[in-house]
Amino acid sequence: MSDATTNMPTDPMLEAIVGPTPGQMLRKRIFGHQGLMIGVVVLGLLVLVAIFAPLLAPHDPYAQSLMARMKPPVFLGGTWEHPLGTDHLGRDYLSRLIYGARVSLLIGLVAATISGVIGTAMGVAAGYFGGKVDAVVTYLINVRLAMPVVLVALAVVAILGGSLQVVIVVLGLLLWDRFAVVMRSSTLQVRGREYVAAAKAVGCSTPRVLMSEIMPNIANNLIVVMTLEMAHAILLEAALSFLGLGVQPPTPSWGLMVSEGKNMMLFEPWMVLIPGAVLFVLVLAINLMGDGLRDVTAPENRS
Amino acid sequence: MTFKGKALGMAAAAAAMIAAGAVHANKADGVLNAAFTKELENVDSYFNSSREGVVLQRAIWDGLIYRDPATNEYKGNLATSWEWIDDTTLEFKLREGVTFHNGEPFNADDVVYTVNFVADEANGVKTQRNVNWMKSAEKIDDYTVRIHLKEAFPAAIEFLSGPVSMYPNEYYAKVGPSGMGLEPVGTGPYKVSKVVPGSHFVLEKNENYHDSPKGQPEIAKVDIRTIPDVNTQIAELFSGSLDLIWQTPADQAEKLSTMEQFTVANESTMRIGYLTLDAAGRTGEDNPFTKLKVRQAVAHAIDREALVGALLKGKSKVVSSACFPSQFGCEQDLTSYEYDPEKAKALLAEAGYPDGFSTDFYAYRDRDYAEAISSFLNAVGIETNFNMLQYSALRELRMKEGTPVSFQTWGSYSINDTSAITSQFFKFGALDDARDEEIRDWLNVADSATDPDVRKENYSKALKKIADEAYWVPMFSYNTNYVYTKEIDYTPTPDEVLRFTTMRWK
Repeated sequence: MSDATTNMPTDPMLEAIVGPTPGQMLRKRIFGHQGLMIGVVVLGLLVLVAIFAPLLAPHDPYAQSLMARMKPPVFLGGTWEHPLGTDHLGRDYLSRLIYGARVSLLIGLVAATISGVIGTAMGVAAGYFGGKVDAVVTYLINVRLAMPVVLVALAVVAILGGSLQVVIVVLGLLLWDRFAVVMRSSTLQVRGREYVAAAKAVGCSTPRVLMSEIMPNIANNLIVVMTLEMAHAILLEAALSFLGLGVQPPTPSWGLMVSEGKNMMLFEPWMVLIPGAVLFVLVLAINLMGDGLRDVTAPENRS
Repeated sequence: MTFKGKALGMAAAAAAMIAAGAVHANKADGVLNAAFTKELENVDSYFNSSREGVVLQRAIWDGLIYRDPATNEYKGNLATSWEWIDDTTLEFKLREGVTFHNGEPFNADDVVYTVNFVADEANGVKTQRNVNWMKSAEKIDDYTVRIHLKEAFPAAIEFLSGPVSMYPNEYYAKVGPSGMGLEPVGTGPYKVSKVVPGSHFVLEKNENYHDSPKGQPEIAKVDIRTIPDVNTQIAELFSGSLDLIWQTPADQAEKLSTMEQFTVANESTMRIGYLTLDAAGRTGEDNPFTKLKVRQAVAHAIDREALVGALLKGKSKVVSSACFPSQFGCEQDLTSYEYDPEKAKALLAEAGYPDGFSTDFYAYRDRDYAEAISSFLNAVGIETNFNMLQYSALRELRMKEGTPVSFQTWGSYSINDTSAITSQFFKFGALDDARDEEIRDWLNVADSATDPDVRKENYSKALKKIADEAYWVPMFSYNTNYVYTKEIDYTPTPDEVLRFTTMRWK
């Protein structure tokens, strides 16, 4: 087809028949999808903020000044010295928000990756092999679904003590259920396809079939679940930190900031609203991106 | 009327309707609504160890003796007079004509029964220290009683005016601590008309209250609910369904004090906050805190003035000795460490830590104070790994393995004597992080001597050495905020006990 277009570019008849290439269509869907674009831009900005935190933060996020506690943000009559005010120990709110982005994104990314690896391995194995393997995996998924995530995370963190590493590992080990469910059913759908049968017929090993025939064809679902679980992990970290069992002070975390501002909620609502709003924006951006990716990669499922 | 005006009018009408529907507490119906922050597990005062329990204890029961919180003078309450027969025997003449809330008359049998019951360790009184100095009681006649002590115990009068209250013998023998917790019966200024364990307590004025130094109650009914969240308490205070809250954090109290419908009163408490450092090396021989210079560096690293001025506020004060300043024997003339981060760094370098070191830091309450303190340590190079545990978990950890540095507080059970704090922690108990024999010996002499001068001298020696060695870094005394509507006339006392008996409607 491409030969035809390059050799006879002037033929009007043929030009009308030749449509855009799949790549062009994909690009058009991506750039035409408003939600996806907003999600990607916002998330991209937050990632940049997290990476360049030391350059962007106006103050040391750990430097306390007890004489300058709870200064209001600039739009509530504060000064540009602390554009978003200071917290209950006189630390710069903006700087803590900027460094907090690192914690949230790191937890989201690493926890979702850990659970993604676990869940995908289990799901693909169950879907591909079926039988006893499927029965065992389905049982494990049911067991996992029967446990309330927050409660289990609270208990484990309470026993092991809260720290960034513990929270990441606990969430990573808890959030694999959706990966397993989705990957299992996606694998079931593709394992009977002709190209899988063909690969088996030419004598490909099972790992090869899984890696080069199955995985590429279910990767779009994986990406969508990954974004959902990232958002989930970020919210759970905020919840754990809010309850005092997540990231430990003085590490800046948005959930911790909401928790610390909570006491003054009736009098200084901005202390809760600012980190709450940023958390909302981040989770919204990730979800928009996930929704958009689903629409773009699987247009036939679009409702 | 403009649209805006109309909308406002409607909003006001709606608010008025809501307000009318709410259970309103005020002068008119004589009900005072108050809130507790923590749940009280058992109203029986010998079987709880909380501040809320002390508040109810003082309202429902009486002790033999009463300490006037304003003058610290001991006055007879259920006893009219007392005298020391010898070092270990106290004789009391009891007040006649007093009856319990259930009509049972008060006499020597009640005292004998109560003392013998609580002094028996097998009965499991929660705070053994309050009662384990008594051996037994003996009836001389209907209104004369002797209490025998295990050994000389100079603080006996203080304890008898505080936690030791008198129970009705017949009723208590029948219902026991759990029955007493559900339907408490005492001689005090208030009787209990309703108990929902942990959450709701209703007190009613005792019309036949004897001529007690506590004074006569005026508020007819006190309705206490447990509301754990401070913001909810404040919201209810705004809506009028609460009249009084207490233990309000400093920042919120400061904001409330600017509103004209509330009175915010602040009083100091006997609770002090301190860091205890592992000088005995319980967490390991090579623990940096075994070195005197490191401990002194910690003391110099913390800006205690700033903590008091910015965080605790109110009547809190910087303290330098390991006790509350008003306590008997609490020496004030001793080594004090001023805030000097440079000196702290220099001391660390001299001790062999020019680049500082990293350590676990533990705390169980007042997360913001603990964070501020750990931040001061970080600033001089002592990198703290912050751990916030439940009180019971941290206590167990400290008893079993010890902690390198932990932020602790102690309220001395409101007992105005150094034995209630320093002797608790420096006599080789499980919570003793110093394990200094010299200090233990001085404290032993001070605790059992009957001559006040000998006691003072020995407490002084012990406290001076604690300061010199920086076993503890005492930081500040606590305060409590009491917030109530302008309809209530009340002056809080420095012992953190809410006294309904002295409250009046304006």
